[in-house]
Amino acid sequence: MHVSPEDVRRLCEFLYRRTGMLFAEDKRYYIDRRLHERIAATGTQSFQAYFALLRSGLDSEVEHLVNAFTINETYFFREDHQLRCMTSDLLGAVIRTKRPGDPIRIWSVPCSTGEEPYSIAIWLMENFPDVDNYQIEIVGSDIDTRALAAAADGVYGARALMKLSPALIARYFESVSADAHRIDAGLRDSIQFTEVNLIDARAMAQHGRFDIIFCRNVLIYFDDASRRAAAENLFDCLHPGGFICLGHSETMSRISSLFRVCRYPDAIVYQRPEAERDHD
Amino acid sequence: MPLVRRDIAKPAAAPAGADEAVARGALRSADPDMRWNAARALGADPASVAALATALETEPVARVREAIMTALMRIGNQESVKALLPYLREQDAAKRGAAIEALQALPDATAPFLSALLHDADSDVRILAVELVRGMPAAEATRLLCDILEHEPHPNVCASAVDALAEVGTRDALPALEACARRFADTPFLPFAISIAVAQISDAKG
Amino acid sequence: MTTIDRATVPALRVLIVDDSSLVRMYYRAALEKAGFEVEQAMNGLEAMEKSLAGRFDLLIVDVNMPKMDGFSFLRELRRSGAPAGSVPALVITTESGEQDVQEARIAGANFYLVKPVAERDLRSYVAVLTGAPR
Repeated sequence: MHVSPEDVRRLCEFLYRRTGMLFAEDKRYYIDRRLHERIAATGTQSFQAYFALLRSGLDSEVEHLVNAFTINETYFFREDHQLRCMTSDLLGAVIRTKRPGDPIRIWSVPCSTGEEPYSIAIWLMENFPDVDNYQIEIVGSDIDTRALAAAADGVYGARALMKLSPALIARYFESVSADAHRIDAGLRDSIQFTEVNLIDARAMAQHGRFDIIFCRNVLIYFDDASRRAAAENLFDCLHPGGFICLGHSETMSRISSLFRVCRYPDAIVYQRPEAERDHD
Repeated sequence: MPLVRRDIAKPAAAPAGADEAVARGALRSADPDMRWNAARALGADPASVAALATALETEPVARVREAIMTALMRIGNQESVKALLPYLREQDAAKRGAAIEALQALPDATAPFLSALLHDADSDVRILAVELVRGMPAAEATRLLCDILEHEPHPNVCASAVDALAEVGTRDALPALEACARRFADTPFLPFAISIAVAQISDAKG
Repeated sequence: MTTIDRATVPALRVLIVDDSSLVRMYYRAALEKAGFEVEQAMNGLEAMEKSLAGRFDLLIVDVNMPKMDGFSFLRELRRSGAPAGSVPALVITTESGEQDVQEARIAGANFYLVKPVAERDLRSYVAVLTGAPR
């Protein structure tokens, strides 16, 4: 079964429209391989049939294809450039309107098995000089209750800890076996884990408003209408001026026009505007 | 441990029907946040299309307009489509774009209206209608787009059709594309665009 | 007399903002032939992201795009206060009526062209707006 360069070009344009992901000519071979994998996996047997499936939106094939391009492993300090941006730039803006002792609320949603919210906590304690001057509340939420249970349990293998120094591991984890480390009880108990569906406005509203939300690698998988509903709920869960960080290869330009884009040295993040804009 | 934990309660079960009636009323509130929340609460309620459509006509705040359109998209029936169609004629580019985006997500509900839109007197409306054809299965889309290429006088409408064919066109489109290239041989852009579309379609191995 | 080594003069950079891939290809071909470096965006939001990230000498902006139209993008860009906010912009409209020209000017366009745009016209106006040799 042959896929022509024109087929690949068509696919790349489709992906660019849907996800904002752009593949330069020299990366096309990479697409070619993933494309063949997906054609085989879907049993479509030809590019034409596969592309028809992709365009139809059936079977979440766009999700499967995008997944094929992204590394889906979760581990501590993944995408640490965003954590750096948080302490270098975002928190500075956030505390400008706060007094000492005020809450700073940070949401990791989806939190999966907890690596992200615990990473945020550890990063803040290690890198945020004002960490003791505010009431920092970190919430982790997900639609998957088994993942949430694992997150609350806080046990991780060596692979999840691969970016952490031995000093950090010693400081925040206890060893439970040769390959398993558990987050210290104090830290485990400090983080609230909740079940939530991003498109459920009432459940989202129960969480109140946050200063920073990490919402990585999930919005791109929703259909157009659900994606917008989720973005509206996330907007509503931000204080005016609050920030939201997406996944590395995601962009709000394919999701929602509600947010302002902010470019910082370490990351592109999105902001709920401070004041209403675009009145007629 | 400098972190604070506060418990987040689960939402109480919503009484059936009562919420939607309240939300429809709140669509008329003077407070933009109330209107915003109201629109977001009505995305699953087909009975609210009329209230949403009315609210959309006069809503001054962009994010509330956005939320109303999302609700109409989620309801996604023919009544929603009818509520969105008039915005294709809006002077304001942002409102036109928002409407077409919403309609693109509703190919089945929009299908009955497509023919009329593709023959609208306003070429800008015809251009937008071509965007809606993109969402159809390849064979059907090709048929409609070739029809446009054969009869459409306005080069920009043809250009949109060619762009759509580059994405979805089958080999059946080749004669119409070549005829269109001859018709517009002395205009800028279209000959180039058609050559690209022809290459995409011809070299596609299927 | 000193001579300028053309190889070390950085190319002028243009951002093409249009939701049609064929239009983007067309402008890209015309501009790369004339020695410009080209990047693309397919709606106003993406254009905003790329404008803030990259240093462009000119924006070519279509009006009708999903998520954020060309006029809204320019207004947002001009309002942003960022250094990228004052980059010259050539707007491509579908009508040459008075209202559209006015709107282009108010949104912050430096000039406009009506589509379909001829390659030669594009290159002329781009040269003028970037100060590049023709």
